[in-house]
Amino acid sequence: MPSLISPAERDYILKGIECNIRADGRQRPDYREVILETGVISQTSGSARVRLAGGTDVLVSVKADIGPVLVDPETGEGADKGQIICNVECAPSASQQFEGRGADELNNELTQMMTRFLSHNTTSLTSTPSNTTPSSTTSSHNSNGAGGINLSKLCIIPGEQCWILYVDALVLDYGGNLVDAVFMGTRAAIFDTRIPKTEVQDLGDGNFDFEVLDDAEDTEIVEGREDMPICVTLNKIGARHIVDASPLEELCTEAKLVVAVNRSGELCGLQKGHDGGIEPSLLLEMIQFGKTLGQTLIKQLDAKIKAEADADMVKRQNGQPVVKLGFFAQ
Amino acid sequence: MAADRKRVAGPESSVAPLVEYPIDYQSWTPFTETRHDSHRQPEDLRPIYLKTGLISEANGSAYIELEKTKLTCGVYGPRPVKRAGQGFSDRGTLNCEIKFATFSCVKRRGTMRDAQEKELSQILSQGLTPAVRLELFPKSNVDIYITVLESDGWGSCIAAAFTVASVALAHAGIEMLDLVAGCSASYIPTSIPSSASTSESTSESSEGAGSITPQIFMDADLEEEKFQQGSIVLAYMPSLNQTTHVLQTGKAEGAIISQSVEHCVEACNKIFAVMNHALLESIDQK
Repeated sequence: MPSLISPAERDYILKGIECNIRADGRQRPDYREVILETGVISQTSGSARVRLAGGTDVLVSVKADIGPVLVDPETGEGADKGQIICNVECAPSASQQFEGRGADELNNELTQMMTRFLSHNTTSLTSTPSNTTPSSTTSSHNSNGAGGINLSKLCIIPGEQCWILYVDALVLDYGGNLVDAVFMGTRAAIFDTRIPKTEVQDLGDGNFDFEVLDDAEDTEIVEGREDMPICVTLNKIGARHIVDASPLEELCTEAKLVVAVNRSGELCGLQKGHDGGIEPSLLLEMIQFGKTLGQTLIKQLDAKIKAEADADMVKRQNGQPVVKLGFFAQ
Repeated sequence: MAADRKRVAGPESSVAPLVEYPIDYQSWTPFTETRHDSHRQPEDLRPIYLKTGLISEANGSAYIELEKTKLTCGVYGPRPVKRAGQGFSDRGTLNCEIKFATFSCVKRRGTMRDAQEKELSQILSQGLTPAVRLELFPKSNVDIYITVLESDGWGSCIAAAFTVASVALAHAGIEMLDLVAGCSASYIPTSIPSSASTSESTSESSEGAGSITPQIFMDADLEEEKFQQGSIVLAYMPSLNQTTHVLQTGKAEGAIISQSVEHCVEACNKIFAVMNHALLESIDQK
């Protein structure tokens, strides 16, 4: 895995992109082939594995745990909501540059990006929209953060216990375009997530007790999962921009723009990276391009996930075992 | 270890106290006609106070105030890289570190740099590097240390960080292609949708919420940010007409984003004038 690139190689890639021919034969807006499989880890509430042809391999797991609610001491907000806690880690085996503490910066960047685009739409510095007056009804439509997931449904006993979704992404192999793969995997993993049902008993006197129903067949989906965004990373090289960069193309990138878009075409986040500048008009063009591409990608992704779930359902109904392809399948 | 006998702990189920407001206190909501600061219009920025030369030890320094948001910046460099055996690089490096003072936000922040500050530091380096002529000092490093003394709005802190860092770099005499001006805006819905329902909302009401077009409030402060649906921070080089950083959070339609980018670019041009003025003043002082 190179961390340097020779001027000749850089020039070759630059000129190729100008002519709309990339090093592996793709055109500028072409994605590599995506292999996606859900339900690959048995100990999780939901999981998915994404592979991009060319090497990027990301494993995303969602574990639903019960924990105390997180109440903002200033506004009192959050007592009736669950939480989503994200973490991205690049395995040291994924690339030579990740050994030891080499991946720390990248891990932090990806984790913060994921938290920003998926969790509540405000940052941890400011509090969530305040709800001090009882007559205000703003809380109803602010319970969905930018990530679209309905956090109110994750609450078990308001003010006390809630479901916490721990979303952990592990990068197993680096082949460029980590952000897109992580978000695609997260979307698929959340789709795959099944949360056990809970039964709340009122013990009277303001006390509540709850029981987790252990039925593997009778579980709940994560509400709001269709509105989860995915990311499209656009890399500006020269005067053009490409999608789904390979490692060498990433080394030639002047500026990178991550566009997070959901299925309704709303932008859930935007972040620029790398050391170059982008003209404002080009910026708006790239945003538009990323948005359109993202919506197409979501449609295709959803269709595939649904097809897989339907095929699994058919197998179960026929009494056939559902066998996952496993880690070495091509 | 014996139990802590010096302190009397509260009962185990105690929680932090809620802030008490006086009975007649009216907290600001966006559903009134004015902004939190009634003298400002939605497209107005807060007045900026920018001065250089705050830190005598640093090669260059600057201090910025956006009413309540206060940041200081010290620039050290170009100075030799600490571990020179790391490998030759024909370009200098820019190291940016931002730290929120523990007393700067409503909730006390930790003394060590946390994950959010580390990411912000990275964002700042990425936003400032395009402007600095790093190829003029190989094997060297420029350190930028920013301290946020008081934070009145997350977006405004980041935007002010870009601005103050650029001015400090210029004050240090480091050659730059252009100054980087930072600007922020918030998307705040100014009306409650007519289809508002109680907390047992179904997915229909969340779609109804998406159809309110929020208004763009430039340079929102902390009270206004509480109601925001999304925000955008933009760093822009006015002379070269290039954006060096854009960070948008929350949901927004494409049209709103385009509009806010245009507003932010205009605002950055105004901030550029303030930055130039501050730098010219610093020369007169010398």
